[in-house]
Amino acid sequence: MGVINDDVSRRKFLSSAFMAVGLGFGLGAFGLRFLQFLSPKVKEKRFEEILVGTVNELSKSDAMPMEIAGSKLLLLKTDAGLVAFSRKCTDLGCLVSWDKARQQFICPCHQGVYDRNGKNIAGPPPRPLDRFQIVTKGENIYVRLKA
Amino acid sequence: MEATIEKISEKSIKDKIIDFIQEEVPDHMNSFFYCMGATPLVLFMVAAATGVLMTFYYIPYSEKAYASVKAINSEIYLGWFIRGLHKVSVNLMIFTLFLHILRVFITRAYKAPGELKWLIGIGLFFTTLAMGFTGYSLVYDQVSYWGMTVVMNMAEEMPLFGPPLAYLLRGGADVSEITLLRLYDLHTKLLPMLLILLIGGHIIAVRVLGFAKMEEAEGKHLFYPEHAMKVGLIAVGLLIVMVNLVMIFPPTIGQMANPAEVASNVAPPWYFSAVYKWITIAPRQPALFGILIFSAVFAFYPYIDRFLTQRGFTMGRINMAIGASAILTFAILTLWNIIL
Ligand code: FES
Repeated sequence: MGVINDDVSRRKFLSSAFMAVGLGFGLGAFGLRFLQFLSPKVKEKRFEEILVGTVNELSKSDAMPMEIAGSKLLLLKTDAGLVAFSRKCTDLGCLVSWDKARQQFICPCHQGVYDRNGKNIAGPPPRPLDRFQIVTKGENIYVRLKA
Repeated sequence: MEATIEKISEKSIKDKIIDFIQEEVPDHMNSFFYCMGATPLVLFMVAAATGVLMTFYYIPYSEKAYASVKAINSEIYLGWFIRGLHKVSVNLMIFTLFLHILRVFITRAYKAPGELKWLIGIGLFFTTLAMGFTGYSLVYDQVSYWGMTVVMNMAEEMPLFGPPLAYLLRGGADVSEITLLRLYDLHTKLLPMLLILLIGGHIIAVRVLGFAKMEEAEGKHLFYPEHAMKVGLIAVGLLIVMVNLVMIFPPTIGQMANPAEVASNVAPPWYFSAVYKWITIAPRQPALFGILIFSAVFAFYPYIDRFLTQRGFTMGRINMAIGASAILTFAILTLWNIIL
């Protein structure tokens, strides 16, 4: 039906295609901005050294849980001296607790078990517990973490 | 004579509505086994009504959420009853959805031209589960807090879109009060809107594509009044059952969320028990991939069915076997998780 030379229908097609593309871009831009609005602001965190106690204090008990700037950790005397373990389970982020009798870290969420050196020995955890660096200055003990 | 014709053309609103919803319903739908689609719809209405009521008292802020749920449960007049109905209707809704899906699956009612019904239905099913999860989170007890933590981290482990999705849902790198507000918005606004759209779509699809045809030739009856009455009867029966269930099992509330300690007895609701047990016993990556692959196969099963049928497999039998083993696995994992 002479479509090839039909300028009217071509013009119609072009203009609606143009409209569609424009609408798509417009809505897409809106959608993107909406998503940006929803995505939370990332706060820059810097490493800081935070005083957790003196050598004397920390030698009294062998496991000390504490919370510093949102990080939950546990100071524990291991074979290699004092270690600051993160209590965040390396599986799906539950909180491990120290079982003194068994000398193991236990995660109740999916029965993850770590030994006294933080090594994952049973259950789903894929890697050993994270550690924070410990800095000793004279009598004082500091933990280096992002705050 | 003329007067009668006039009467016919000037139908009352009631008749117009009846005409609009009227449809011939195949006789196999007289059996309850085939009516399990309307049941979750009735339950959804109850859940929606009681849910809206509770938003008048609930406070979506981490320091007050738990106390407000507690107040609903024990201080506000009939609060326990409303919350109980909400919980019972949701539990029954998910249970009957399971049954409905199982029925559609073993009778292969998703066959062409019914694929769209199945796809929308799967969307409905997953949205309902998301409602279950977000709803549980709002209580802000131990199960809520650690459930949120674990589920968000699971989302983060998913390939590609996982990390941004988890970040968006949590509103940060960790579960915080922003997370609670986001889940509240999802639970009370976005997900219900989606659910209503999907329910509408599902019903329209069923009407346009027609009810599934069973093999044997059979009679038909009218949607109104016969079938509508039947659904009404189911609704009344459900209300009686629900009220009794609430009386016998009034809603309880766990310990308040404590970010500094995981209680040893954090167990998800029964419909997540099987998945929970699965991620506990299987190594992490295979476990999550298993869930993804299972969901994909589940969602696109009509196409898999067609593909295999063309290659000469008798899918009726195969579906029966898959259905039976799925129930068995689900039951074993669930019981294993609840008992041990
Ligand atoms: S979160 Fe600790 S074992 Fe899964």
